Amino acid sequence: MTALAVTRATLTRVLRDRTALFFMVLLPVAIIVVIGVTVRGFDQFRVGLVPDPRSGPVAQELAADLAKAPGLRTRSYADAADARTALRRAELDAVILMPAGLDESVRAGRSVTVRVLVEPSGSAGHAAVSSVSAVVADHAGRLQAARFATGQSGGTFDGNLALARGAERASSPVAVRAETVNGQSDYLPLGYSYSTPTMLVLFVFINALAGGAAIVQTRRTGVYARALAAPVPARALVAGETIAYLLLALLQSLLIVGIGALAFDVAWGDPLAAGVLVTVWALVGTGAGVLAGALFRTPEQVHAIGPALGIGLGMLGGCMWPLALVPGWLRTAGHAVPQAWAVDAWTTLLSRDGDLSSVARELTVLTAFAVALLTCASLALRHRLTTSPGA
Amino acid sequence: MTDPPGSPDTVRPVLDCARLARRFGERVAVDDVSLRIAPGETYGLLGPNGAGKTTTIRMVCGLLRPDAGTVRVADRPVSTAAGPAKQLIGFVPQDVALYPDLSVRENLRFFGRLYRLPRRRLDRRVDEVLDLIDLTARAGDRVDSLSGGMRRRLNIGAGLVHSPTLLVLDEPTVGVDPQSRHAILESVNRFGEEGMAVLYTTHYMEEAERLCDRVGIIDRGRLVAEGSPRELVRLVAERDRIRLTAAGGLSGYAEACRRLPRVEGLARGGDHGDVVELVVKDARSLLPDLLDLAHEQGVDIRSVEIDEPDLEAVFLHLTGTALRE
Ligand SMILES: Nc1ncnc2c1ncn2[C@@H]1O[C@H](COP(=O)(O)OP(=O)(O)OP(=O)(O)O)[C@@H](O)[C@H]1O
Ligand SMILES: [Mg+2]
Repeated sequence: MTALAVTRATLTRVLRDRTALFFMVLLPVAIIVVIGVTVRGFDQFRVGLVPDPRSGPVAQELAADLAKAPGLRTRSYADAADARTALRRAELDAVILMPAGLDESVRAGRSVTVRVLVEPSGSAGHAAVSSVSAVVADHAGRLQAARFATGQSGGTFDGNLALARGAERASSPVAVRAETVNGQSDYLPLGYSYSTPTMLVLFVFINALAGGAAIVQTRRTGVYARALAAPVPARALVAGETIAYLLLALLQSLLIVGIGALAFDVAWGDPLAAGVLVTVWALVGTGAGVLAGALFRTPEQVHAIGPALGIGLGMLGGCMWPLALVPGWLRTAGHAVPQAWAVDAWTTLLSRDGDLSSVARELTVLTAFAVALLTCASLALRHRLTTSPGA
Repeated sequence: MTDPPGSPDTVRPVLDCARLARRFGERVAVDDVSLRIAPGETYGLLGPNGAGKTTTIRMVCGLLRPDAGTVRVADRPVSTAAGPAKQLIGFVPQDVALYPDLSVRENLRFFGRLYRLPRRRLDRRVDEVLDLIDLTARAGDRVDSLSGGMRRRLNIGAGLVHSPTLLVLDEPTVGVDPQSRHAILESVNRFGEEGMAVLYTTHYMEEAERLCDRVGIIDRGRLVAEGSPRELVRLVAERDRIRLTAAGGLSGYAEACRRLPRVEGLARGGDHGDVVELVVKDARSLLPDLLDLAHEQGVDIRSVEIDEPDLEAVFLHLTGTALRE
């Protein structure tokens, strides 16, 4: 019960501290808004279309297919230079240059290349290319069928093309779904559904590390040393602080979940699975925070290193951008940090309608992280309190 | 004052430390220190910086494991584990140890809760302690808004909430203005009168002399002498000096004085000067005889000065160093 005296003191202190509350609530919400708006751009790639002035029906059909594609938002440019400028200004993710004389080439049986321009920076461009490729491949398949029919059984190319189109509409023997981005990208939650859970992962962890600074500060007030003169074992002090920071992490998570649901329309998925995930993640953060509180010598050290560490791990773990967009080796490396597992679990819950069993693996890994961190943290803090309580 | 404190040799002592020793690496901080404190007794541990006072106190309070020796409070062993003996000890550390961002009352409640005071009793004791340390008016203020002296008082108060049997104070008056210091000393005095045993460290001689029933002098980790301030003073070979100034010749008077019992010698006088200086055993009790004698001989005494040796002199004598560096 004496542990709860410590819990109570710590909660009172933190909830009274305006700076702490800023970092706990306002900052995460502000960043959720910013990232939510930015990542929203990923659901539709902005593509500029530069048609050939002498375009025939085939070219027009391709342009129409591109405009209809769900992952693309097309805009026509009469002048290629204008389109290039828009691309450079990042107003577009890609520019499609319709080949000159597409119709004649196709009818003559020549192969044609559709040129797509992207900026070297920005992964959105390359992702857009695969979307465009899917549409073009679809279109090319139809042309090929029409050309094959014309060669084998006669008839006009245009007639056979119409037949091919009709046949495709009637029965599609092989369904192909266009991948918007590489890998699992079609599972990627977008907008606030991406930014809210990832910022929860990021900020609960960073905030818990900041709690470590408060522990270092308390160590230096001599209160712990003095408390040990009471009939209070060191483990009760450790437990008291751990409970306090766990409660704070849960409170912060609930705030972010609530604001996400109410203000940004985030559907948090299966409530049981989401609840377990929030709790396990709060335990991971608390373990890291208490460990920092035991290891560092001054609060300033924690303030200097904590947020940088939290942001670094967040980047590696896919809190800032989807790990689906990074190279495979980096994705693998990212899974050395708990953040990646938490983000994966949220992705499953939010975009794939996952439940407890579908995130069991992630939860197991996160629980292992939590147990390891909490064990190290309590051993280290207990050691610190009993050997040099005032330092 | 209620009953005078008993001696720890006749009454069951509240604190009983036996042969405590502790070293830090090569440095011996405390070496074979034994001390006992009776209920209601105020014991002063007097020593210069680095003498081992804080180290002794940390072992007494179960904050530091002794290399050798034992500590018992009311017959219960004290260890660094959270044993029941700790419930009886109130510890006031040398440096203020409080939550700076909690209020005065919240701090007192926190420490009360550590000792598992039930709610009602906690409320009552916090009010009593606030009154005792004269901070009732500031109860709702944050600690970091208090003056240094107020913080010191609260630092003491935090050790009192659970009504300890033994109060341990480590230099509670360091860096405190004279007025606060006076208030602190007054309260410590009262604790003793109320039957609390008090262990008090200081390097201020006056405090020890004024407050303590018994004083232990610690130097380089060793307890070099122990006793009531008067007993300690008597340890010194020095005696009181009485210096009498009169108008007129004093040679006859000086001779007469020398023949009185308890006058051990004549330091000065016996000639035609107007000053007589005597070395005596107990100046205060001898003074009436000296004045009577002067009256008989028609000597007109203008002034009397008595120099009693103090703990400063004792300390100098025992350790060869001055107490304050
Ligand atoms: N944790 C420690 N590690 C190493 N040496 C220590 C430690 N604590 C105390 N000492 C040493 O032990 C000796 C006694 O120190 P202590 O703090 O007990 O003295 P003190 O009488 O309380 O002095 P002061 O009047 O300055 O408070 C000193 O030489 C000190 O340097
Ligand atoms: Mg000291």
